[in-house]
Amino acid sequence: MASEEGDDGPLVGRTDTLAGVQSDLRNVGPGGTAAVFVTGESGVGKSRLLRETARAMSAAGVAVLSGTCLDIGDASPLHPVLQALRQANSPAQQPTSADDPGALLDRVSRDLRELAGDRHLLLVLDDLQWADRSTRQLLLYLLAGLGGVRLSVLAAVRAEALHGAHPLRRVLAELRRLRSVKVVDLSPLDREQTLELVNAIAGGGIEPEDSDRVFKRSGGNPFVVEELARDLRDGRIELSDTLREIFLSRVDELPPKAHSVVHAVAAGVEPVEHVVLARVTKLGEDELIEAIHAAVAHRFVASSPEGYRLRHRLVAEVLEAEVLPAQAASLHRRYAEAMEAGGVVDHARLAHHWQKAGEPARALPSVVAAARSAEKLYGFTEAHRYWSLALDLTTDDVPERTELLAHAAESAHLCGEHQRALTRLAELAARPDAPGRCELHLRRARYLAAAGRSATAEVEYELALQAPDCTPRQRASAAAYLAELLVHLGRYGDAYDRASEALDQAAENGTTADLVRASAALGYSSAFREDPDAGLAVIRQAVEIAERSGHPDDLGVAYLHLAELLTGPLNKVEEGVLVARRGAERLASLGVGRSYQTRLLAIAGNGLFRVGQWAEADQVLEAAMRHRPSGADAVELLLARCRLWVGFGDVDAAVRDLDAVATLLAGGGARHVLPMLTLRSGLAMWQRQHAQARAAVQRGLTETRSDDLMLLGILAWHGLRAEAEALSDGEQVDPGALRRLKTVVERMVDGVGNAATPVRGVIDGYIDLCNAEISRIEQRHDPEPWVRAAAAWDRRSQPYPAAYSRLRRAEAVLTRRTTRRATAVVALREAYTMAIAMGARPFTAEIVATAQRFRVALADDADTVPLNPPSAVPDDELSILTQREREVLAAMAEGLTNREIGEKLFISERTVGVHVGHIFDKLQVRTRVQASRVFLTAA
Amino acid sequence: MQSVWGPVRQEMFDLLQTHPDDVPAVVDQLTKLQDILGRVPPLLAENPLCDFNKLYLTITEGVLERLYAGKFKDPAFLSRLDVEFAARYFDALRAWAGPEASPLCPRVWSGLFQRIPGPDCRPLPAACAGVNAHINFDLPFALVTTFDHLGTDPIDDSDQHLDYLQINEIFAHSIPGLRRGYLDKWQLLIDTMNGSLDDWWQGEAVEYTRNVAWRNAQKLWGLRHDMSATDKERAHLDRVAADLGKLLLSPLGEFLQ
Repeated sequence: MASEEGDDGPLVGRTDTLAGVQSDLRNVGPGGTAAVFVTGESGVGKSRLLRETARAMSAAGVAVLSGTCLDIGDASPLHPVLQALRQANSPAQQPTSADDPGALLDRVSRDLRELAGDRHLLLVLDDLQWADRSTRQLLLYLLAGLGGVRLSVLAAVRAEALHGAHPLRRVLAELRRLRSVKVVDLSPLDREQTLELVNAIAGGGIEPEDSDRVFKRSGGNPFVVEELARDLRDGRIELSDTLREIFLSRVDELPPKAHSVVHAVAAGVEPVEHVVLARVTKLGEDELIEAIHAAVAHRFVASSPEGYRLRHRLVAEVLEAEVLPAQAASLHRRYAEAMEAGGVVDHARLAHHWQKAGEPARALPSVVAAARSAEKLYGFTEAHRYWSLALDLTTDDVPERTELLAHAAESAHLCGEHQRALTRLAELAARPDAPGRCELHLRRARYLAAAGRSATAEVEYELALQAPDCTPRQRASAAAYLAELLVHLGRYGDAYDRASEALDQAAENGTTADLVRASAALGYSSAFREDPDAGLAVIRQAVEIAERSGHPDDLGVAYLHLAELLTGPLNKVEEGVLVARRGAERLASLGVGRSYQTRLLAIAGNGLFRVGQWAEADQVLEAAMRHRPSGADAVELLLARCRLWVGFGDVDAAVRDLDAVATLLAGGGARHVLPMLTLRSGLAMWQRQHAQARAAVQRGLTETRSDDLMLLGILAWHGLRAEAEALSDGEQVDPGALRRLKTVVERMVDGVGNAATPVRGVIDGYIDLCNAEISRIEQRHDPEPWVRAAAAWDRRSQPYPAAYSRLRRAEAVLTRRTTRRATAVVALREAYTMAIAMGARPFTAEIVATAQRFRVALADDADTVPLNPPSAVPDDELSILTQREREVLAAMAEGLTNREIGEKLFISERTVGVHVGHIFDKLQVRTRVQASRVFLTAA
Repeated sequence: MQSVWGPVRQEMFDLLQTHPDDVPAVVDQLTKLQDILGRVPPLLAENPLCDFNKLYLTITEGVLERLYAGKFKDPAFLSRLDVEFAARYFDALRAWAGPEASPLCPRVWSGLFQRIPGPDCRPLPAACAGVNAHINFDLPFALVTTFDHLGTDPIDDSDQHLDYLQINEIFAHSIPGLRRGYLDKWQLLIDTMNGSLDDWWQGEAVEYTRNVAWRNAQKLWGLRHDMSATDKERAHLDRVAADLGKLLLSPLGEFLQ
């Protein structure tokens, strides 16, 4: 869109919108970010709205940064944001390379933070429909709060683009569900507003039928209204009805040299610099300036410090259709030559012009250069498009084609275009100088496996192994990959055989990576075949091998496998957590493998959560978040942390993390949707929002694979529990939902026999919980199913579901008023102790409420366990503290030492230390005495 | 400006403020829509969009039932597709402000929407005209968006393709039953004579167009980064589907009934 700076006509009919947009931009969500997306047809005034908002917010002390996305089809990754940073003269240089995609996002965020200083940042992006994938990902990363930038985003999107299959369509559909995101649809002006605008421009005295005609012709499009109103003012008689004719007749009135300036700017990538324009138009300096003056006076071209642009993209589109192909080609050639002469290194733009100039051979080098620089910025989608473009520019007889095909196939694989990758590979295989057969089979197998076509991938690995040109090293590698694939397919017997072979071969000829891969496959398949000790030994050995190689990837992978095996199938959670933390520390000491460190800490955090050490889990996850993860790693960490918030009952923090997850998932990522829904339902249950809890589960049931019993188990339990909770609040049970949930439970019972042993224990635990909830819904008050469930989770050493089952057991017994009250009291007290130890606040509150209802004393010395009633409104000064921190502070005020506090609150002394540190920071005090004073004054 | 929706204008507006994000919510939205559409004068429940909406609701309920029963290989894909698919129908309704006044409403939908006030046409061709718009025009784009979002691509014989083909069965199930609901007595006679043949033809037609939609989606998939090429293809599909829709709603379409 990008219409001119300054010289704007009056702004009509947008006062409310303008105020609304500003207030929405200030109204940041729990993550400290907000966004407004303005959609509307071309010429409706989106750019204008952006400009006015930016001006007003800037005047109010907000740091404003503006960028525009380009419509050259293939811009370089992150273009609009990097361009905006450059224009703002940010001290930071353009990031040219980074260790990993996350590091790149982190670096851009740091530049944004530096630029903003202590101000709030407004990032304004025009023509977002042309944004590349990397820019969209960056936007989601920033909006999820991962960049640590307090910012609001204001972006304009052409309404036309959102039809069809534009990726932004889906992104906006997901984002608009968040409270901090608004999508504003800018409609054309109505009859009165058109009249107002016409009068404002033409200076009044306009006949009503004239302005009516303007309204009819323009459809209320302000850009067209303005043009037609000027005609009225100038006494021009406009006969034509279409936008195209209106503008063409004006172009004809331009002096010839201004005419060529307008055409040149229309063919360029805006903004067009003066020097470039001079080279392209081949006009002398004086002539050029005169011509530009005329073009500006006729309101075609706008001038700004960065260069020239057309006053509106609509004009460019009209002109594009009018220019002869030969004329356009010649303009583009001149642009390309001008850029080369000027030593400009924007490969994307150069490639664009050479291509449009009809000179494929000259375009090729810049296309290849653009592909390589996109790969450096982890823009694999963009890189893939450049490699494909390079292929379009070459014919079969060009020798470079073989190499281009190899790149195109690999980049397609990396950006998830599996089918395309396979097609390219097939083409590569047909080249006379194609790589060897084994190599081709290996690559095809990798691509197929990534596409989820495991059966065909397996065949390809076999073919690679049988290929006559297969070197010992390739054989080791293929066998290791194949073993890994078989583990994923759950064929542990085959995997075991294949992995043993692979391990022998890798020991002889393989790389460390192959050795580690083969060991992991062997370890997993042994563990699943009920020989856990042997499996463990093999993977421990893999860690040692990796330690010797010292390569970050080897180390990361080996530690990940060991930690996963221990915390997962073997259920040796404590040990797994230790391994994960040790691995993370090891990599941190080498200063490498940020992504592996993050993932290891996520495993540790999840493990600690399961064994009930929530305060520790909290710290580990905080440490992991400090690595500023992105993409799937970030989603997993946020989900893990959110699980903690739900457990702690910190609603605000849980909502913040759920919003952040939803923001990131707007860019794609199906497998994380279910954990998000489960958490949403768990949180809603604590808030007694039964409808939300049930809806989340029902949606989850429509998206879960029927063979994924683990996920089904968690969902079904949440669903049944939601029904039971609703019932206990006096609401009706939804018979349809109940029937469906029972069907799911039946499916689990039928399928559990086929599950691998380690998984079976967990599924059984969920089946027990489900059956117990069903008995609760049927109001049988039967303690037996709860006894079973508690025992199952005790065996798995998972205190949360175990304590929950105890609460329900006690409740059932006490409701029945049998003589077995004593057992109920014991169960309730156990549940209470466990809940307190975890810091599970809402759960504890429920236990306390149950105890009060049935007049059970929870502890002999109940006084020594102060528990803030959950309904208590915290005092202002202490409200910045979390519940846990307040408990620590209360104990501190009693004069207890860290160790004593730890014992009292069931947390480690170190954890108390961390809490004390946070308390000091938040209350801005330096000593325990000062902190106690704040507490006592507030209390 | 008088709304095309007459007395139900506000209800329509309010309903379309919601953007369903799962299949149960789509069913819910279609159910509410069915009620509102049945009150648009002058034809009330006889209006052609009502006929289509009823069929679409039946089919979506069928999809939901299968999702709950765990019948699909990749339910996440199918759920997303269903939501994405429905969103396009709701978008078209949202964009509809009357002929001449709805530049953002696809032509193929406009053709059906402008028949809401009449002249009356037969229920079956009306429902088919809606199916035509939805499958021949909306579906390929919904497929591309869904695949793009899930990070996979449209591959023949993949889990997603097999799930997609299952929907044909639901169509085959829904159409004969629906058809019987429409019949007058004398038509019942004709139907018992050649009904099965006719139903077969119907079922085939849907299956055929749904396969065309899959092929079109694969074609669009390759173009999806090229905005102008996608726009061209979109305009082309809209034109072709709109012409077919016109035919269905013309007196000629009555032979289907």
